[in-house]
Amino acid sequence: MLDNYVRFLDEMSLRELHLISRDLRGIRVLHVNSTSKGGGVAEILSSLVPLMNELGVRTDWKVIEGDNKFFNFTKKLHNLLHYPYPDSIESNEIVHYFKITYYNSSRIDTENYDVVFIHDPQPMGLIVKKVIGQKWIWRCHIDTSTPNPHAWRFIENFINAYDACVFHIPEFVHESIRIPTYIIPPSIDPLHPKNAELLESDVKAILEKFGLDLEKPIITQVSRFDKLKDPFGVVAAFKVVRKKYDCQLVLLGSCASDDPEGEVVYKELVSQTVDEKDIFVLNLPPDSHLEVNAVQRGSTVVVQKSIKEGFGLVVSEAMWKMKPVVGSNVGGIKEQILDGITGYLVNSVEGTAVRIRQLLSNPELIKTMGIRARERVRHRFLITRHLRDYLLMIKKLLFSSP
Amino acid sequence: MKGVFKFRAEHWIVKSTIIRVSTLGEFVEALRKVDPNAIFYHVYANIFFNCGESTSFFNNSFAYWLYKNNCLELAEKISAIDPIEYPDLEELRRVFLKVLEEDPCVGTDRVMSPFYFLSVEREVVDYGLVARNFKEFVEIFRNSSVNSVFYHSIAFRVDSKMPLNEYSLWLSSIGENKKADLINKLDIYSMNLYEVKSEIVNILEEGR
Repeated sequence: MLDNYVRFLDEMSLRELHLISRDLRGIRVLHVNSTSKGGGVAEILSSLVPLMNELGVRTDWKVIEGDNKFFNFTKKLHNLLHYPYPDSIESNEIVHYFKITYYNSSRIDTENYDVVFIHDPQPMGLIVKKVIGQKWIWRCHIDTSTPNPHAWRFIENFINAYDACVFHIPEFVHESIRIPTYIIPPSIDPLHPKNAELLESDVKAILEKFGLDLEKPIITQVSRFDKLKDPFGVVAAFKVVRKKYDCQLVLLGSCASDDPEGEVVYKELVSQTVDEKDIFVLNLPPDSHLEVNAVQRGSTVVVQKSIKEGFGLVVSEAMWKMKPVVGSNVGGIKEQILDGITGYLVNSVEGTAVRIRQLLSNPELIKTMGIRARERVRHRFLITRHLRDYLLMIKKLLFSSP
Repeated sequence: MKGVFKFRAEHWIVKSTIIRVSTLGEFVEALRKVDPNAIFYHVYANIFFNCGESTSFFNNSFAYWLYKNNCLELAEKISAIDPIEYPDLEELRRVFLKVLEEDPCVGTDRVMSPFYFLSVEREVVDYGLVARNFKEFVEIFRNSSVNSVFYHSIAFRVDSKMPLNEYSLWLSSIGENKKADLINKLDIYSMNLYEVKSEIVNILEEGR
């Protein structure tokens, strides 16, 4: 399977992966998270775990269980870590968190592993199961640059008991962390149905299915229906652009079953754009990979106007498809876009509109930026780099003297 | 050095130092004491990670941060320091500090966007491939990765604290002095690693 990636890298780089993993053969690694499908973490693990096994690192992936009360609390915790909303954590929520953690600790075997990766806050209480000789790593996928202090204190109780932690970008690292802290950005899998090559005829067929006019430029934002993704700001920018260019806007997303806010945002968006024949609000099931792939490929310019963003891998997905991305100057987006080279970083509705117009007026620039964008993803944000980073980190933690 | 050439490749895992600064004064103080690997990271991250891209207009993260914070003259002076000329990271640190300390802006306490000092844990991977003569060297070099080019042309100098890259050192030892000299004179810091590799291939193949 790893050999399938040779077309994106080179043979020697793949050989180096084998060489790095040589000392790790037979090591047992466990990944624990809170969902087996849906969301970026599950998507990455579904690609990463088989690759680690192929390299001889015996890797398993387990998922915790919990009830609504537990996941409502962890969703709240997630939001509070993401943004300093004025809210606090109640004692009964903490007690319930421990109750579910206790339940999961009895059903998830962690003892028989050399290295345990715990993804995000939901399963992080499992650290109580750590035994001598093991290395436990907390992998954070959230923007924790401005957390609510109550939420941070809650997870801080656990973090410093780990052997290491990992964040996407340096500004997410809190100054209270006392353990080795690695910076590992997430990644996309070029072989995933969302990113795999498509025939032009398939792309066209899907765009036509959604009623899009293939003769007019398409501006797209792919994201959950979430106010933090600022879809209303995208619509406002589009309306400015449309004064000069006859173009279309696609807002493609889905409403997750565990996110009641999504439905509200979607409905508001639909009601605001119902009379706009050039605006397409597409609410698709979460596994609509082919459709997302085709819409990204069929787009002229891709936008990611998030107000807050853990990383925003949709930016890399679009860049991989050689699209210049106009993205907000926040979080992981600014790690992916090299301003003026692979796309544009913007700070306002007005800035978004200006950059889209600049791109629409210059097809050559779209092409040049698109080529550079793909190259950047090839070197920085593919699953093979992520795999290499994990292997190196495991190696350093297991074999380096403290 | 006479004998075989062992091909290796350099890989990094990036670490946070938890040091975050927001003024030039704090930056200088932090630069005085950070681990040498942090300096290694910040001067070479651009070339190491952006190996297939056009080089951005500031080649080290210190200069880029200064530029972003409107310290334009200082950014240019810092970017003009070519780390390839300073294989000893402590000497490189002194050179950076000298330029910074001479700048009048450093005394001010204007709050700037934060600079995060990062560091690296390095892993040098042995390919298990060795060249015993020039012909074998060219053959293996052509197939080597950019991570290998980085190790032999940059990291080797830092590890050995010598001004020579490892390719040139070995090529000299087998009598290929002209090629060794040409490779050592390459302006590596102004290129990306694919360009460096391609230039080296051209030099190796010249006159064959």
